[in-house]
Amino acid sequence: MSELKIYKTIDATSENCAGPIGELAGAMNDAYVGEGVTIILGDEATRDDVLVWASRTGNEIVGNTSEGDRFTLVLRKVK
Amino acid sequence: MKNVLVAGGGLGGTIVANRIAQRLSNEIENGEASVTVLDKSDRHFYQPGFLLVAMGAMEPQDTHISERTVLDKRVKLVTGDNGTITKIDADNRSLQTADGKSHKYDHLVLSTGSHLQFDEIPGFAQGADTFFNLEKAKEMWTKVQSFQAGKIVVDTAMLPHKCPVAPLEITLMLDDYYRKKGIRDKVQIDYCYPTPTVFGIPNVAKMMTKIFGERGINIHTQFTLASVDGGAKKITSKEGETLDYDMLVSVPPHKGAQVIGDSGLGDRRNWVSTDKFSLLVKGHDDIHAMGDTTDIAISKAGSTADYESYVVSHNVAADITGSGGKKNYPGSVFCFIATGMDQATYIKFDYNHPPVPPTPSQIYWWSKLAYNKLYWSVHARTMI
Repeated sequence: MSELKIYKTIDATSENCAGPIGELAGAMNDAYVGEGVTIILGDEATRDDVLVWASRTGNEIVGNTSEGDRFTLVLRKVK
Repeated sequence: MKNVLVAGGGLGGTIVANRIAQRLSNEIENGEASVTVLDKSDRHFYQPGFLLVAMGAMEPQDTHISERTVLDKRVKLVTGDNGTITKIDADNRSLQTADGKSHKYDHLVLSTGSHLQFDEIPGFAQGADTFFNLEKAKEMWTKVQSFQAGKIVVDTAMLPHKCPVAPLEITLMLDDYYRKKGIRDKVQIDYCYPTPTVFGIPNVAKMMTKIFGERGINIHTQFTLASVDGGAKKITSKEGETLDYDMLVSVPPHKGAQVIGDSGLGDRRNWVSTDKFSLLVKGHDDIHAMGDTTDIAISKAGSTADYESYVVSHNVAADITGSGGKKNYPGSVFCFIATGMDQATYIKFDYNHPPVPPTPSQIYWWSKLAYNKLYWSVHARTMI
């Protein structure tokens, strides 16, 4: 399998109006099929929300790691 | 002579240029520094006012003024072809304008904003009303007044967009307008949003979901606009949901300025990759970005640009005068949220402190209107 090209990395650890999923949805819209988007989150509950969103929208989770209070997900656009 | 160029004469560019001129007052007077704003237009538009125009709460002519009248007299202004930036050459610290001239800079501030994309979604331009530019806001107010019965759908096509609370505001203002007109029972209002909640900040989403429920507003979350059929008056989401409408009020997709993409400074949507604290464009120590221009996961709002202008102006001046340390942007944002035609709440937050919106009241509504009134005389001129 070829190395995943990351289109964008989003730091969503802070408050913002679009919210992590809003920012992520925008980036996934602009990514090409086969590319990835990395999102860094500041709490576990938001990480879980993003996992549910990814499942519902058909985006593949290819990375799921955490370090302290930072949770990093990598999503691959599949369609 | 140190040249500071500010790309864009909107809210952010104007305010930051004024603050830089204030901080470099002595240097400008002594001929050691200059501050120049470049913009295609010589008019300054107060975009937050468009929402109020669309609901008849602000006169269209009160939303714009000559840019020169709000710029500090020490700031140079270049408009028309002379001020239309066609390329930014970061390697050579210069930019080109449509008149064929090249402009060198020591510091460049990008405040080129976000721009509406009416043609990105099939059918949008023909089938949707919006209040995100002045002409369309005026058209919408005419339609709002003549609407007597039927279904209004308020839809946000894509995130992020400028003035993030505006979809909530227009929904609740429409509700209250028709309630006061005595025909709310004949008007159905549906709210569509592309995420699982009605807003991205949990505290706000919780409050607004409750208010929507109390006001009888139907919610369609996870609705990402795919197409508009103006003939059949239907919209379809990427998730496969179809809704009919009699009037569609929608937020169009947004992109950063074309010159950002043409200069290789942005992502595919022309947002500029920016450090969230220093507000420096990543990889550059002489290009600052602020307001809607950046890719920072923060609100694209006028208050964001205003707060950021303190940091950018301080850091530009500190570099030029060699005095003082650099400042960081803490993520400050403040927005009023209209919850009707005579009531509002507000959100104030930063990177580390979520907002706790107070119970809506008339005090905040009048504060919102007062802020708009004071914009030209106080805020744009950076009197505070």
